[in-house]
Amino acid sequence: MNAKTVADEVIKPVKERRELSFQAVITNEYVLYVVSFVAFLSIWHYVAQAQILGKSLATPYDVVKEMRRMMSLELAGNTLFGHIWASTQRILIGFSLGAAFGIPLGLFMALNRHVNAIVKPIFDLFKPMPPIAWISISILWFGIGEASKVFIIFIGSFVPCLLNAYNGIRIIDEELYDVVRVLGGNRRDEIFQVSFPAALPALFAGLQISISIAWTCVLAAELVGSRSGLGWIIVRGMRLTRPELVLGGMVIIAIVAVLFSLAVSGLERLVCPWKRKIAGL
Amino acid sequence: MAYEHVKIKHNWVLIILPMISLLVFFGGWQLIVDTNIIPSTMLASPSSVVRLFIDKLTNPNPDGAVIGVHAWMSAKEAVTAYVLALIMGVPLGLAMGWFTVIRGIFRPVFELIRPIPPIAWIPLCIFWFGIGIWGKVFIIWIAGIVPFTINSWAGVNMTNPTFIQMARTYGATDWQIFTQICIPSALPMVFGALQIALAYCWTNLVGAELLAADTGLGFLIEMGRRLAMPEMVVLGMVCVGIGGAFIGVVVDLLERRLLAWIKR
Repeated sequence: MNAKTVADEVIKPVKERRELSFQAVITNEYVLYVVSFVAFLSIWHYVAQAQILGKSLATPYDVVKEMRRMMSLELAGNTLFGHIWASTQRILIGFSLGAAFGIPLGLFMALNRHVNAIVKPIFDLFKPMPPIAWISISILWFGIGEASKVFIIFIGSFVPCLLNAYNGIRIIDEELYDVVRVLGGNRRDEIFQVSFPAALPALFAGLQISISIAWTCVLAAELVGSRSGLGWIIVRGMRLTRPELVLGGMVIIAIVAVLFSLAVSGLERLVCPWKRKIAGL
Repeated sequence: MAYEHVKIKHNWVLIILPMISLLVFFGGWQLIVDTNIIPSTMLASPSSVVRLFIDKLTNPNPDGAVIGVHAWMSAKEAVTAYVLALIMGVPLGLAMGWFTVIRGIFRPVFELIRPIPPIAWIPLCIFWFGIGIWGKVFIIWIAGIVPFTINSWAGVNMTNPTFIQMARTYGATDWQIFTQICIPSALPMVFGALQIALAYCWTNLVGAELLAADTGLGFLIEMGRRLAMPEMVVLGMVCVGIGGAFIGVVVDLLERRLLAWIKR
């Protein structure tokens, strides 16, 4: 390209090429990732093999083997996928209920002072109570069936949904409302054109927090009392003193939890593509 | 004078409504238990919770310890693990943000451990540490170290690149840039992590104590369920709530003092 005027010039990113040396390879971030991963697995394998922690740690290979076995073998009437589905189902029900009640209530509280004055003091009483503390009372109320687990997940996801909906509207720039008013909009326009769209990113941050709390809650509930689900697999492994079952359960929980949070951020990108990346959220 | 003193009108409705709301809440709660709409085997009335609280101040039965001991045990576990997570997580996160080698070494392990809810470690902790204090400290530590590391890391990453380039122009070494530019600019994010990690630690403390403990507030809740004493469950929940709120206020005060010192 031969630029005739300044306006024709384009900025091209230039990639700096470093000389390929031993030191450059060894300090490359991605090489180190592989090294670290392999080192982690080998130390784990060594510690398990040499039984430094007694019989309470299984080798990575045993864990993978156990996971393969669980896929076909039935544990308490369910294969591995049955247990994954049992946990997922509880989360989906509790989480949807929590979001369905929490978000509208939070929006109402932020938009109407009177609703806020009524609901806020009661909400503030419940807010510092961790959802896991509700497990015992929910078992007293609902027994150890599905309802008690869904209730805990509901409580766990309700709080961050409500808080983020509430704060999402309160942190909106006042000038945005001024624009609507100058253009002749009424209160309804303010709410629908400014409040709701501007609160969306905060709402999704709330959903993201909710889903991770929901995982903690479902595990705690299943650890305390259940006959299916990933938490039950872990407890089963503990009772039978089979660490490979415990570790296999943990690995699967991690994988499913990551998939869930990816799904929420995918949905976020779909619903509010204008959102810039906010670090730390 | 062009200005006029305007009397600020207090909106009495907005001051009275919260009080009415709380009154109705507690009154209704007391009433549905007293009139047996919900039987007292399932829900305790506020007055019976207060009565049990006064009794538990001196009486160690039926769960083996007075309430002060339970609260002290929980606080000890939570604070130990929180401080451990702070002094390990923050330097790790800061270093991971700036030094590629450290990021390369620790990131894969960190990313492997991060998505596992800390509660899932409980069975392994019971294998490794038994049901003593250290198992719980380990779980709460895992819960706390994740937000500390992530926020410190993000804080370093968010450093204004212009500052770094300027420092480079003046011939600063990597270490100087790290200590004099990246760390100060990451501090607000690190302080943000204090509260997040605290809430996270406190939640997992209760989970850990429900499953593996012989003292502590979570254990009080669990014993209340086993003995079918709803007033003990509610008492435990209230104590957990108040404890969490109290530590939150302390951390908030500390944070303000420290931030004021930094901005000076």
